[in-house]
Amino acid sequence: MGRMTSAERMQAVMMGQKPDRVPVNPFAMGYCTQIVGMPLGDYYADGKKSFYAQFMSMRLHGYDVTPMYGYASCGPWEFGGEIGFPYGPGHSAPYVKRHPVNSIEDVENLEVPEFKDGKLPGAYQVADDLFQLCAKYNMPVTFQSGSTFTAAAVVADTNMFLKWVLKEPKVLHQLLEKVSDMYSNAIEFFANKYGPDHVMTFDGGPVEANTLLSPKMFEEFAFPYMRKLHKKIADEGIAAVLMHPCADQNLNIPYYVKIREEHNWKGKYIWVFGPETPVKDQIAAFGDHDVVCGNVDPPSFQTKSYEECLELCRQNIEEGKDSPSGFILAPGCEFPPGASPDKLMAMMDAAEQFGRYD
Amino acid sequence: MTSKDELLKHLADAVIEGDEDKCAELAQESLDLGMDPYETIMKGCNKGMEIVSEKYEKKEMFVPEILLSADAMYAALELLRPHLKVNANTKKTGNVVIGVAEGDIHDIGKNLVLMMLDVAGYTIFDVGRDVSVDTFVQKAEEVDADIVAMSALMTTSMVRMGPVIEGLKNKGLKAKVIVGGAPISQNYADKIGADGYGKDAVEAVRVVNKLMEA
Repeated sequence: MGRMTSAERMQAVMMGQKPDRVPVNPFAMGYCTQIVGMPLGDYYADGKKSFYAQFMSMRLHGYDVTPMYGYASCGPWEFGGEIGFPYGPGHSAPYVKRHPVNSIEDVENLEVPEFKDGKLPGAYQVADDLFQLCAKYNMPVTFQSGSTFTAAAVVADTNMFLKWVLKEPKVLHQLLEKVSDMYSNAIEFFANKYGPDHVMTFDGGPVEANTLLSPKMFEEFAFPYMRKLHKKIADEGIAAVLMHPCADQNLNIPYYVKIREEHNWKGKYIWVFGPETPVKDQIAAFGDHDVVCGNVDPPSFQTKSYEECLELCRQNIEEGKDSPSGFILAPGCEFPPGASPDKLMAMMDAAEQFGRYD
Repeated sequence: MTSKDELLKHLADAVIEGDEDKCAELAQESLDLGMDPYETIMKGCNKGMEIVSEKYEKKEMFVPEILLSADAMYAALELLRPHLKVNANTKKTGNVVIGVAEGDIHDIGKNLVLMMLDVAGYTIFDVGRDVSVDTFVQKAEEVDADIVAMSALMTTSMVRMGPVIEGLKNKGLKAKVIVGGAPISQNYADKIGADGYGKDAVEAVRVVNKLMEA
């Protein structure tokens, strides 16, 4: 098989065909600032700079995914709270400085942000600066469409939010409804602006993890809003969703399987689970329809040697390479922003050495 | 079972159920009966939290339930603690400085560890989240800490733990260090010279107890 370009490789995987080799999605976000010597805060505060850093990193390393924009604390800024950008020591991404919801009354008064071109809420305006460049270079526009539960957990004071799971379920549902309405507005706006064939949504978050939440709680509070938004995605004609159930979500997998079944969606999910979920379990649950990604333990890229990272990637490729609907080598969460570039090289080298389909 | 034993069992049950009002009521009742508040804390509140910890490890209880259990436990502790007398039966366990590493605001895990150490009898000095290296070291010196407990959820903040350990050593402080959080492993704890690693809140308490015995 001849050598494919990154675009051809990704297209082949998304079409259910065999590419020349396993594609690589290093989930490199903050890391890209190292490549261009940019402060991490600029990456999140300025969409054009974010595009530049990701575009240069993608070209330098030769990995197969294009720039995108998103972070775990999406929500508070959009609903009128305040976030800080990661300019300080130890920072990794935008963080919440003021939650817009600190009481039950705040939930009642909370207004769902509207999406109007040129006046998008919070970080969506920053993101749209990046999306315009993606569209200009004929790259997919990948925007954040969830998760509702994780966003709501930071729109509200998080400890209070978690107590509401048991003490104030009606209030919690009211808040979740409003947060999911924001994401619904985002889905509609970006599908209309860039065309459903040119967009992909990104859904995921850590607060649903089973280290925090039981599967029963997931069923009651997270799943209904995921189902609502994925129906919206299907209704808008969007054909691809990047899903990142962050951290240990093994007990939630049956619900993720149900999302497709509930509305008989024909598009593709690309699953990036945490390192806690064996690749074989992902293939069993999703492999017949969807693209499964690797899940190399992210801190390893920061703490282990090139050789050790290469071996971890080789094992990951061996586990996933023959998944029926395609496999992408990836870490189980964001590539560590402080990891050295040779560790990303280890991913690329592993894909070249062990990921070829001949 | 005597009525005192029953009361302690009911108190433990109320902690497990996260029933704040019941906990406060039973704590007051124990005081009215002249029960030793230390015994009420250890055999009622602490016993309840031990069972909560076991259920968390077995994935029978989850964080929302634990947060309510903590609230219930503190409702009892607030009433009982002012009546504690330091005597031979009241074992002093140690001073713990606890916080989240610099650059990191994720404090759910830290708060769980704090609460479990608190009810286990440790004296807690919570330095909060996004805590600078200097603040950890200064607080440890100020309170003559036996333990410094640090958590981190991000790969960018985990690297701020090593400098704290160096800072403590440079000052010649006796404090032993335990680290934990999603990106942390035993290997990483060893690499930065931590004395212990807890993979979750329950284990963190076990490790601290062990470090204190050493």
